[in-house]
Amino acid sequence: MALFVVFQTTFFLTLLSLRTYQSEVLAERLPLTPVSLKVSTNSIRQSLHLQWTVHNLPYHQELKMVFQIQISRIETSNVIWVGNYSTTVKWNQVLHWSWESELPLECATHFVRIKSVIDDASFPEPNFWSNWSSWEEVSVQDSLGQSILFVFPKDKLVEEGSNVTICYVSRNIQNNVSCYLEGKQIHGEQLDPHVTAFNLNSVPFIRNRGTNIYCEASQGNVSKGIEGIVLFVSKVLEEPKDFSCETQDFKTLHCTWDPGTDTALGWSKQPSQSYTLFESFSGEKKLCTHKNWCNWQITQDSQEMYNFTLIAENYLRKRSVNILFNLTHRVYLMNPFSVNFENVNATNAIMTWKVHSMRNNFTYLCQIELHGEGKMMQYDVSVNVNGEYFLSELEPATEYMARVRCADASHFWKWTEWSGQNFTTLEAAPSEAPDVWRSVNSEPGNHTVTLFWKPLSKLHANGKILFYNVVVENLDKPSRSELRSIPAPANSTKLILDKCSYQICVTANNSVGASPASIIVISADPENKEVEEERIAGTEGGFSLSWKPQPGDVIGYVVDWCDHPQDVLQWKNVGPNTTSTVISTDAFRPGVRYDFRIYGLSTKRIACLLEKKTGYSQELAPSDNPHVLVDMLTSHSFTLSWKDYSTESQPGFIQGYHVYLKSKARQCHPRFQKAVLSDGSECCKYTIDNPEEKALIVDNLKPESFYEFFVTPFTSAGEGPNATFTKVTTPDEHSSMLIRILLPMVFCVLLIMIVCYLKSQWIKETCYPDIPDPYKSSILSLIKFKENPHLTIMNVSDCIPDAIEVVSKPEGTKIQLLGTRKSLTETELTKPNYLYLLPTEKNHSGPGPCICFENFTYNQAASDAGSCGHVPVPPKAPPSMLGLMTSPENVLKALEKNYMNSLGEVPAGETSLNYVSQLASPMSGDKDSLPTNPVEPPHCSEYKMQMAVPLRLALPPPTENSSLSSITLLDPGEHYR
Amino acid sequence: MKVLAAGVVPLLLVLHWRHGAGSPLPITPVNATCAIRHPCHNNLMNQIRSQLAQLNGSANALFILYYTAQGEPFPNNLDKLCGPNVTDFPPFHANGTEKAKLVELYRIVVYLGTSLGNITRDQKILNPSALSLHSKLNATADILRGLLSNVLCRLCSKYHVGHVDVTYGPDTSGKDVFQKKKLGCQLLGKYKETIAVLAQAF
Repeated sequence: MALFVVFQTTFFLTLLSLRTYQSEVLAERLPLTPVSLKVSTNSIRQSLHLQWTVHNLPYHQELKMVFQIQISRIETSNVIWVGNYSTTVKWNQVLHWSWESELPLECATHFVRIKSVIDDASFPEPNFWSNWSSWEEVSVQDSLGQSILFVFPKDKLVEEGSNVTICYVSRNIQNNVSCYLEGKQIHGEQLDPHVTAFNLNSVPFIRNRGTNIYCEASQGNVSKGIEGIVLFVSKVLEEPKDFSCETQDFKTLHCTWDPGTDTALGWSKQPSQSYTLFESFSGEKKLCTHKNWCNWQITQDSQEMYNFTLIAENYLRKRSVNILFNLTHRVYLMNPFSVNFENVNATNAIMTWKVHSMRNNFTYLCQIELHGEGKMMQYDVSVNVNGEYFLSELEPATEYMARVRCADASHFWKWTEWSGQNFTTLEAAPSEAPDVWRSVNSEPGNHTVTLFWKPLSKLHANGKILFYNVVVENLDKPSRSELRSIPAPANSTKLILDKCSYQICVTANNSVGASPASIIVISADPENKEVEEERIAGTEGGFSLSWKPQPGDVIGYVVDWCDHPQDVLQWKNVGPNTTSTVISTDAFRPGVRYDFRIYGLSTKRIACLLEKKTGYSQELAPSDNPHVLVDMLTSHSFTLSWKDYSTESQPGFIQGYHVYLKSKARQCHPRFQKAVLSDGSECCKYTIDNPEEKALIVDNLKPESFYEFFVTPFTSAGEGPNATFTKVTTPDEHSSMLIRILLPMVFCVLLIMIVCYLKSQWIKETCYPDIPDPYKSSILSLIKFKENPHLTIMNVSDCIPDAIEVVSKPEGTKIQLLGTRKSLTETELTKPNYLYLLPTEKNHSGPGPCICFENFTYNQAASDAGSCGHVPVPPKAPPSMLGLMTSPENVLKALEKNYMNSLGEVPAGETSLNYVSQLASPMSGDKDSLPTNPVEPPHCSEYKMQMAVPLRLALPPPTENSSLSSITLLDPGEHYR
Repeated sequence: MKVLAAGVVPLLLVLHWRHGAGSPLPITPVNATCAIRHPCHNNLMNQIRSQLAQLNGSANALFILYYTAQGEPFPNNLDKLCGPNVTDFPPFHANGTEKAKLVELYRIVVYLGTSLGNITRDQKILNPSALSLHSKLNATADILRGLLSNVLCRLCSKYHVGHVDVTYGPDTSGKDVFQKKKLGCQLLGKYKETIAVLAQAF
C-alpha cells in the first residue's frame, strides 16, 4: 500500500513537471499580446491615456517587454506618432501610458493601437512582435454641444517661447471663421472642412492674466458669434542666482538667493514658483516659505560639510542650483557692539569694542576706520572677544567718527556691518600766530591804525578761539603799553595812536591758552612816501605782480588790496626772497578796479610802501556814455564837451573817446573817418586817444545843416553802449546879422507903442477927437450935391445953446454898471457925458460948433414932431457904420431910399423902437455915456431925440454878453423920447 | 456648489437672515412668512428709488471697467461679446401695479445679486490686480443687497408678500476663462440696460 502511494506520488509529480514544461514551451511560441486596450482623454492636459493588460503572461512571472504604440489622427492610415514603451510586466498587471497631443484632442479623432514583444534576457531568442491590437478610436467632438463654433484648447498653460497649436471646430462649413491673437489675425491650416488648426510659434508673455485668442464666425458681413480661449503663457522659470548659506551662531544656516522673475499667473493657473532646500549629506529637505531666503537648522554639531541643492519649481519647469561648503568657512559674525572711547585727550584716544563669542579660541580680524577732518584712516587688528585699539596722532578739538567691523580671522567669509561712534578730542592752545595786517590813516597829530587778522585755521586754532589779545606798546616810551581783549569772531580793531612808534602784538586765545604773538610795528611817520601808481593787466587767474626788492634786510613782503564790493582789506604775505606773486581769488570780479599796494617788512617789522599797482582782472566796455553839452553853436561849428565824465569809475581803463557824426553830406570832415554803425548805417568817426581830453570842436560845418553826433568812451574791451545820436542844426549864416538889425527895431517899435499907450489920451484928443469937425466931413459934398434946402449946417454963431441941467450921477451906480469899462468910467467921472453932447461955457473955451443933422435911419413917422435936436454924438462910431456913412456912394443910396422902407429892415422885435442909433453902437463904450436917468429934452430944440434909454438902467448891470446888443437893455413895451 | 458658496449663500444669508447663519436655507422657502424683525422705514419707496438711481448712475462705469479689464477682443466687440442677450433674465413690466413691479424687481435683484457674486469671485481670481474693478463690483453688490432688503420690506409690510419665486444667475464655475469673461460681460451689459429701465419705472 505504501509502495502504491509512493508510486502514485511520483507519477503525479512527473506529470506535473511535464505539464509545466509543456506550458513554458507554449509560452515561448505564443506572443504576449496586449489586450483590453482602453483610451481616455484628459482635456486639460490634452493627453491620451492608455491602459491595457498583457495576455498569456505566465503566473507570477515578471517579464521585460517592449510595447510599440501607434497613434493616427483623423483616419487610421494617417499615423502621426509611433513609439516604444519598455517596462517590466507582471502577471495580470494593468499597464498605463500617456501621450500628450500637440493638437487639441477636440479638434480631431485619434486612433490608437499597440503591440508588444518580450525583451527579457531570461527568454530565449528569437522574440516575435505580437499582433497589433485593434484601433481604438478617440473622438471628443461629439460631446462638444450645440454651439456653432468652438475654440481649443481651453485655458492652456504654456511657457513663454514654446509652440502651441490651437484649433477651432465650426459646425457650419458655410461660416467664414477668422481667428485673432490679441486683435491680430492669425492664419492656420484646415484639417477638415470643419476644423482648422493654428500653429503659434514662440508664444510671447503678454500679461499674467492670460492672452485672449478668439475666432469669429460670420456669413458675409453678418457675425454669427465669437468664441475664444485664454492662453496662459508663463515666464520661463529662472535658475536661482547668488545662492549662498552662512551662519552667525552655528545653530542656524541662513540661505539666500535671488529668485529672478516671478512666474505666477492669474486665474490660479500657476502660483509663484516654490523653493525647496535639499541637503544631500543628511538627506533632509525643507520647503521654503519665502521666495528669496530660507533658514536651515543645524542639528548635528559634528557635520561640517553641507551640500545644499536649491530647487525652484513651477507647473512647467524645475530648476536647481547646488553649493557645497564647510560650515566653519561660512561664518558671518554678528556686528561688534559696545564701541567706546577711553582716555580721550587732545591728540589720542583708546577705542574698545566687543565681539559676540562664537566658539572657544576663535580669532577675529577687525578693521577700524577713523574719519575726521575729511580724512580717513584704516587699521586692521586681530582680537579675541574684546577688542582695543590706540588711536594716536589725532588733531585737537576735532570730532572723529570711528567704526569697526570684524570677520573670522581663520577663514575669511564676510565682514560684519560697521559698528561705530563719534568722539571729540580735547582742545590745545593755538599753534600758530594769527596773520595780522594793518592800514594806517595819518591825521594831524595821530594815526588811525586799523588792525586786521585772519581767523586761524581749524588746524592751528586747536579749539574754539574765544578772544584776541592786542597789546600796544609805545616804543618811544617803553613803560606804556595797553592790552585790549577783542572777543571772537571779530577780525579787526581800530587804534588811534599818537605820533610815536608802536609795537602791536596780537595773539589768539582759546580755552586752553594763547597762540604765539604776531608782531607788527607802526613807525612814527608811516606811509609818507609818494609812490607812483602803475597799471597792470589782470587775467582770469588773477593778477601777476612783481616789484623791485627793497634795499636792505627784509623779513618779507605784504601785498594788500581791497575786495569789491565788500571793501574788505585783503593781504598776502610773501617771503623775503620773492619779488613776485600771483594774487588769485574768486572774489575778483570783471570790470572792477583793484588797487594793490606792496609793502616791504623790515627786520624791525616796519612796513614800507614800495609800489602801487592798479588793474582789472578783466576790463569791460564802459557801462555808460558821457553827457555831452553842445556849446558855441555857430553856422560852421559847434563844440562838444563832457567835462563831468569820470574816467576812474569805469569798468576798464578809459583809453579815449569815439565821436560819431552823421550828416547829409557823404564826405567826412577832415580828421573824421568813415565808420559803419551796428545798425548798418554809415557815419563819420573821430577818435580821441587822450581820456582826459573831454571836448571837441566840430568845425567845417555847413550853415542851416542838420547834424547828429554821439560820443562814447572806449576801453580795451570796447566802447560804451549804443545810444541815440544827439541832433544839432547849425544856424543860418545871416540870421545873426538879422538879429542885430531886428532887435533894435523891435525895441524901437515897442518903445513907441509904450509911449503911445501912455499918451493915448493925448493922441486921441489930438488925432481923433470925439466930436468930429463936420466941415471936414464928406457929407458936406453930398449935401451940396442934393441941394437940399432943408439941410444946412448951422453956424456956431447961429446956435443958441440949450440950457443944460447937470445931473449928478451916483458914482457907485456908475461903477456897478460899468465895472468892466474902467477907462470909460474914469472918463465919465471926470467928464460927464453930456458935456460932450452940448458943450457948455465952462468946459468949452471957445465957441464950438453946434451940429444939427438928420439921422437918415430915423423913422420920421414914428418920431415926435420937431426936425432938429441935439444929437448925442458918440465918441466913436462903429467902423462899419462909419464906413457906410463915409462912403459917398453908400450915402447916396441911402438917401435915395424911402425912409419908411428902412423901417422894414428893423428887426421885428424892435419895431416898437422909435430909434436905432446909427452912430452909437451898443457895443461901444459910448453907451455908458448915456445918462442914467432920462433927460427931458427941451421942446424948442431942433434936436431930434435919438436915444432910447431903458427904464431899468438902475437895475443890476448886465453881464458882458448882454452888452452885445443895446436892444436887450430896452424894455420893448416902453419908449423914451 | 461653488456658486452657492460664493454667490448665492451670502445673498441668501442677507435675505433670510431671520433663520440664522447656522440654519439650512431653502432657496425658495415655500412657507415663508412675512414676519420682519425690524419695522420698515417710512419712506421705503424713496429709498428704493434712490438706490436704483445710484445703481443706474454707476452701471455704465462698472460695465466699462469690466470689459476694459478683460482685454481684447472685449472693448472692440461689445455687441458680439457683451450684448445683453441673457436668456433667463427675469422680465420686468414697467406698466404694472406697484406690487407687480416690486415683485419683478425682487426677482431681478436676486438674479443680479447672484450673478454679480459670481463675477466678483471670478474677477478676483483672474484679475487680482484690478482693484478698482473689484471695488466697484463690491460696492454694487452692497447696494443690491440693501435694495433687496428694502424691496422685501416693502412687499412684506404693504402687500404682505412673504414669498417670491426667484431664479439665479448662471453658474460659471465649470466654464472656461473666456466663457466666464463673456458671460460676465453679457450680464453687466444686461444689468446696465435693465437698471436704467428700473430707475425710470420707479
